[in-house]
Amino acid sequence: MIFSNKKHLLMLLLPALLVLCIFAIYPVIQVTVFSFMEVDFNTDESHFVGLQNYRDLLDDWFFTTSISNTVRFSLIASVVQVSLGLLLAILFNRNFPGKRFALPIIIYPMMLSTLVCSAIWRSWYHYDFGMLNHWLTGLGMSPVEWLFNPSIALYSVILVDVWQWTPMTFLIVLAGLQSIPQDISEAARTDGANEFQILLFITLPMIKGHIMLALLLRTLDTFKLFDKVYALTGGGPGNSTETMSVFVYRNGFKFFEIGLASAASVFMLVIACSLSILYASKILGEQNK
Amino acid sequence: MNQLSHSKPINTGLPLLKLTKNGLFFAALLLSIAFFITPVLWMLATAFKEPGEYVSSTPSFFPTTLTLQHFESLLDDGFLQRLGNTVYVAFGATVTSIFLGFMAAYALVRFQFPARLDIAFLLLVLIVKLMPPIVVAIPLYGLLTDIGLLDSLFGLVLVYQLYTLPFCIWMLLGFVRDVPLEIEEAAALDNANIVERLWYIVLPLCKPGLVATSIFTLILCWNEFPFALLFLQKPSTFTLPLYISNFITENETFWGELMAIGLLSSIPVLLFAGFIQKHLIRGFSMGLK
Repeated sequence: MIFSNKKHLLMLLLPALLVLCIFAIYPVIQVTVFSFMEVDFNTDESHFVGLQNYRDLLDDWFFTTSISNTVRFSLIASVVQVSLGLLLAILFNRNFPGKRFALPIIIYPMMLSTLVCSAIWRSWYHYDFGMLNHWLTGLGMSPVEWLFNPSIALYSVILVDVWQWTPMTFLIVLAGLQSIPQDISEAARTDGANEFQILLFITLPMIKGHIMLALLLRTLDTFKLFDKVYALTGGGPGNSTETMSVFVYRNGFKFFEIGLASAASVFMLVIACSLSILYASKILGEQNK
Repeated sequence: MNQLSHSKPINTGLPLLKLTKNGLFFAALLLSIAFFITPVLWMLATAFKEPGEYVSSTPSFFPTTLTLQHFESLLDDGFLQRLGNTVYVAFGATVTSIFLGFMAAYALVRFQFPARLDIAFLLLVLIVKLMPPIVVAIPLYGLLTDIGLLDSLFGLVLVYQLYTLPFCIWMLLGFVRDVPLEIEEAAALDNANIVERLWYIVLPLCKPGLVATSIFTLILCWNEFPFALLFLQKPSTFTLPLYISNFITENETFWGELMAIGLLSSIPVLLFAGFIQKHLIRGFSMGLK
């Protein structure tokens, strides 16, 4: 920090700030205003209704279901991804022939577009022609309605997310493992500790930060869940896979219930902001160290 | 010498256990690699299959006869136009964000901010990047309608700044920080003004960082779905993810074409992926999606 010329600072920062104001801050303010209004799209009229939209929202069974779907998805997907990522990272934290080729293969799914992932898995989940049911019946089991059984569909979507994003939690945890100095576990081994004890009492505590980071990032990301649900189930069957993002989309862009959709948006925004601040305090704190 | 004689009995004493452990290790490794690669291999194989081989109650994993018919029918269906749209939007959004983001990142690293406003700005950047995009979708729809850019690729370039600008600022921050201050101070003593310092000193030294950030941003735009879905309605303006989603919902089992699109739209991403491998964690930690 050597420069303090205010004119230069403004010149450099203003364009980015302006873009953020127009495309982020202004819409956030507007959606908050909408959430207290009743908007009629046909006549383009709107009037203030106070907290009515929020009251309707909390009474709306579709919305409360979408909250529980989002929370279930977010928690299960994040925990499974981080656990699998940890196991994978432990596997990859030693040398074996072909490691150079195995690593890019594992990372491949997260480079793909979510829509491509969904397209592949939607075909795999197909009841009559999908690979999964083909293999199941080959093993003598009965086929599964992966996307059309209300009590299974959400887990089918979770599986796709696990396939796509476990590579990321794996990379984060692997980076953590590789930052542990070798001589610490060597020392423990000479003192008679077995591999399991080393993992439990030395390795895991030392990569706690990385595991928490991976969990937080996946929670933040799964909370937004939209693309996969849209492409795999469209929120169905019924509303058994409808997430909060899909709820906002359906009400705002299909039913033109602007007030209700805006109130739901504000609700989501508050949750996302709290999670972001948690994340920010973690990484900004690390940077200032 | 003492150490050697101590460790020898342990290694030779349990050859069977070691063999089983190695066996388990490679079994787990192969299983996880298979889990991540099989769906991708299926995409690759199905793009070249005759329809009869996948629309079947006994689908085959690998094609028995190879066909290019799916690629040909894509060309007739306007694939190239959608590819062009995606290229335009991805490059447009990336160039804009890199330019604005570089200036902002430079300001954040090198300038003294009054009242620690830099922390406030960084927090804003983070929250914008991490919030669910659907939250601001309704106001942005109104905004684009008002300025007549709904259904236009240029409008999409503008709203993509919501994702790409915070991402670029965050990524470039680290790269600008790595430029040694001394070179710039020397140039400042030689009366180089701020534009000259940026152009002749900081920019060339940040080049690897700018390239990596650009690739990430290109991938981000290449794969983006929700905003494309909401703000593009004419099929002639569709981007590739939107093209895929339309294909999924309109043609239940046109998997050959679907996988051909998936394959073609993944190739550019894969070609670039090699360049950014060492920045993957940093890039994806910012919620690249």
